[in-house]
Amino acid sequence: MSKNGKPLFRVVKREGVRWPLVGAAYLIAIVVAIAFGGVLLAGQQVNPFEYYKDMFTLGMIDNRFAYKQVEGFIKLFVPLLITSVALSLAFRMRFWNIGGEGQFIMGAIGASAVALLFGDSLPAPVLIFFMSLAGMATGGACGASVAILKVRYGTNETLLTLMMNYIALYFLKFLGETMGDWNIFLSSESTRPLFQNFEEAAVMPSIPTGIGHFSLNISLIIAIGICIGVFLYLRYSKQGYEISVVGDSPNTARYAGMKVSRITVRTIFLSAALIGLAGAFYVSTAGALSISITNDVGWTGIIVAWLAKLNTVAIVVTSLLITVLQHGCRVASSSYATVDANFANLLQGMILFGILTADFFTRFKLVGRGKQEVIK
Amino acid sequence: MNSEYGVLTLFLFSIVVYNIPLLYGTVGEIITEKAGSLNLGVEGTMAVGAMFGYIAGVSTDNIFVGLLVSFLTAGACGLLFAVLTVTLQANQNVTGLTITTFGLGLYFFVGKGFGAEWPSLQGAEHVVSAYSARPIPVLSSIPIVGKAFFSHSMLVYLGVIIAVVAWWYLTYTKMGLRLRAVGENPAAADSVGVNIILYKYIHIIVGSGIMGLGGFYMSMSMGGSFEGSNCWINGYGWISIALVIFANWNPLYAIFGSLVFGFFNTLYVYSGSLSNAFPDTLGWLSAIPDQLYQALPFIITAMLLVASSIRQKNGGGAPNALGQNYFREDR
Repeated sequence: MSKNGKPLFRVVKREGVRWPLVGAAYLIAIVVAIAFGGVLLAGQQVNPFEYYKDMFTLGMIDNRFAYKQVEGFIKLFVPLLITSVALSLAFRMRFWNIGGEGQFIMGAIGASAVALLFGDSLPAPVLIFFMSLAGMATGGACGASVAILKVRYGTNETLLTLMMNYIALYFLKFLGETMGDWNIFLSSESTRPLFQNFEEAAVMPSIPTGIGHFSLNISLIIAIGICIGVFLYLRYSKQGYEISVVGDSPNTARYAGMKVSRITVRTIFLSAALIGLAGAFYVSTAGALSISITNDVGWTGIIVAWLAKLNTVAIVVTSLLITVLQHGCRVASSSYATVDANFANLLQGMILFGILTADFFTRFKLVGRGKQEVIK
Repeated sequence: MNSEYGVLTLFLFSIVVYNIPLLYGTVGEIITEKAGSLNLGVEGTMAVGAMFGYIAGVSTDNIFVGLLVSFLTAGACGLLFAVLTVTLQANQNVTGLTITTFGLGLYFFVGKGFGAEWPSLQGAEHVVSAYSARPIPVLSSIPIVGKAFFSHSMLVYLGVIIAVVAWWYLTYTKMGLRLRAVGENPAAADSVGVNIILYKYIHIIVGSGIMGLGGFYMSMSMGGSFEGSNCWINGYGWISIALVIFANWNPLYAIFGSLVFGFFNTLYVYSGSLSNAFPDTLGWLSAIPDQLYQALPFIITAMLLVASSIRQKNGGGAPNALGQNYFREDR
C-alpha cells in the first residue's frame, strides 16, 4: 500500500495504567468542568466564587454548627465508599453489577427487620452485629442469584440487575405504604403509614471526639477497615489472585484449573453482601427506614469505581471528592433560590464527560503514519 | 353510555395517553441497541429533550419548534454518547449513566433557573390547540374503543407512525440490514465495507432524538408545570429500557408492549375506580397492592430475561455485540 493510502495517524492501545498521566488528565478535566459550571452559575446571576466557596468548605466557615456538616458529610460518604469498593470487586470480574440500588435497599430492609424484631431484647453491640449480618445476607442473596443465572445460563447481568433495582424499590414502597398487623416496619401508633423508628440499641453509636460537639460515627471506622481489608484481599489472598485471573481471561483461568463459575458466584456474593452491609449501616445511622434511602448510591458507586479504575486507594479519594460535590452543593444551594442541589449532578456529569475524554488519551495513543510500532 | 363503561373507556384512554412516551423511548433505544450500543442514558436524554423542547415550543408558541428542538437537543446527547463510546472507546454503561446524571442535573438547573418566570402552557394557545385531541373520522365513533384508541393528540399518532417506520426500516431496507449487521458482528460488517463508525453515529443520534420527542410529549401530558422535586420523565426512561427487552428489539412489538406496560402503570391509578364500577368481576383489583402493579413491568422483564437465557435463545432479537465497543485493531 502506498504511503498516501494510510490515514494520518492511527490509534494504538497503551499497556498498563500510568497513574501520573491519569492524575494529570483527571485534574484538567475537573478544572475545566468546574470552570464551565462557574459560567453557568454566572448566567443565573449567582456569584460562582461565593457558591464554590460554600460548596468546597461545606459551608463550615463562620458556622457554629460546622460539626453538623461534617456529620452529614460522613452519613453520605460511608455508604458511597463501601458501595464503590464493593462494586469494584464485581467489575474486576467484568460482571456488570448495576444492581447496587436494589442490593442496598434489600440490605437495609434485612437489617431493619432484625432491628425491629429484636430491638428491645438484645444488647446494642450484638444487635448491630446481627443487623449487619442480615443486611449482608439479603443484599448478597440478590447479587448471588443473578450470578448463578449468569454462569449457568448466560443471562445478561446488566439488564437483570437493573430490573431488580426497581423490584426492590417497589418492595420497599410496599412496606412503607401498606398498613397491616403483619407489617412490622410501620409505626403502630401512627394512623398514617410511617416507618417505625428503631430502638436506641439499634442506632449506630458515635464516639465523642472532644473537638467541639463533633462525634465520630463508628461506621466510618468500619468502612475504612473494609477498604483496607479489600485492598489486602485483592493483593495478597489466593482468592484475590483468582479474581484478577478470571477478570483478565476466563479461558486462562479455566486452563489453570480454576473453577470460574464458583469464583464468579463467590465474588459477586461478596460484592453484593458488602453493598447490603452499606445499606444496613445507613439505616442504623439514620435510625429508621425511608423510601429515598439510597441517595442514588448504587448509581454513583458505579461511576466512582470506574473513575478510580477499580483501584481501592483511588476509590477512597474519588468517593471523597464526589461526596464533597454532592453534600457541598446541598449546603451551598440552600442559600440560593435559583440553584438546585441537582447542580451537583450537572457538575458530576460534566466532570465525567471530561474524564471519559481524558481517559482516551491515557488508554490509547496516536501513532503518526511515519512511525512503525515495534511489536513486543 | 352508563357510568361503568365511562370508567372503562377512561381507563383504556389513559393507558394510551400516558404511556405513548414509553413507545418513543423504546423505539429510540431499539435503534440505538441495534447498532450494538447499550445507551443507559434514556432517562437523561428524555429529560433534556423535554426541558429544551418545552421552553422553545412554548416561548415561540409553535409545537413544531418544540418538537424540532427536543429532537435536536436530545440528539446532541446522543452525539455526546457516540463521541465518547464510538470514537473515544469509553465504557458504554458508565457513559450512559453519566448522560442520565448530567441530563437530570441540566433539567433541574434550567427549570429552577426560570424561577417565577417559568413559561406556562396556558400562555401558548397554538401549542395547546395543536396538542389537543384529533379524533380519527369513522374509527373514533366506535363505542369505547373509538374514544380509547382513535381520538388522541397528533403526538400519539406520530409515536405509532415512528414505530412502524422504524420497523419497516430495520426489516426491509438495505441500510437497516447493514445496521443489524453492525450490531451483530461489527468485524464482519467492517470487512464487507460497512462504515461502522458512521452507522453507529447516525443511529445513536437519531435514536436519542426520538427519545427526546417522547420527552416533549411528557412535558405536554404533565401540563407543562415544573416541580422542583419531580422530573417529568419520572422513570419512564428506565421502563423504556425494560420495554426494549419485552418487545424483543422489534418496534412493532414495542407498540403492543407499551400498551401492556401502560396497562399496569395505569391500573395502579384506576384499580380503585374500576373495582367500584365492576364490583362483581373486578372487585379483587383493589385488594392488590399498588406497588405490585408498578413493579410488574420490571418483574415480567426480569422473568423474560431469565426464561430466554434458559431456553438458550440468546434473547432472540438481542444484538450479539450489544454493549461492546468496536476497536478495529482488536479484530
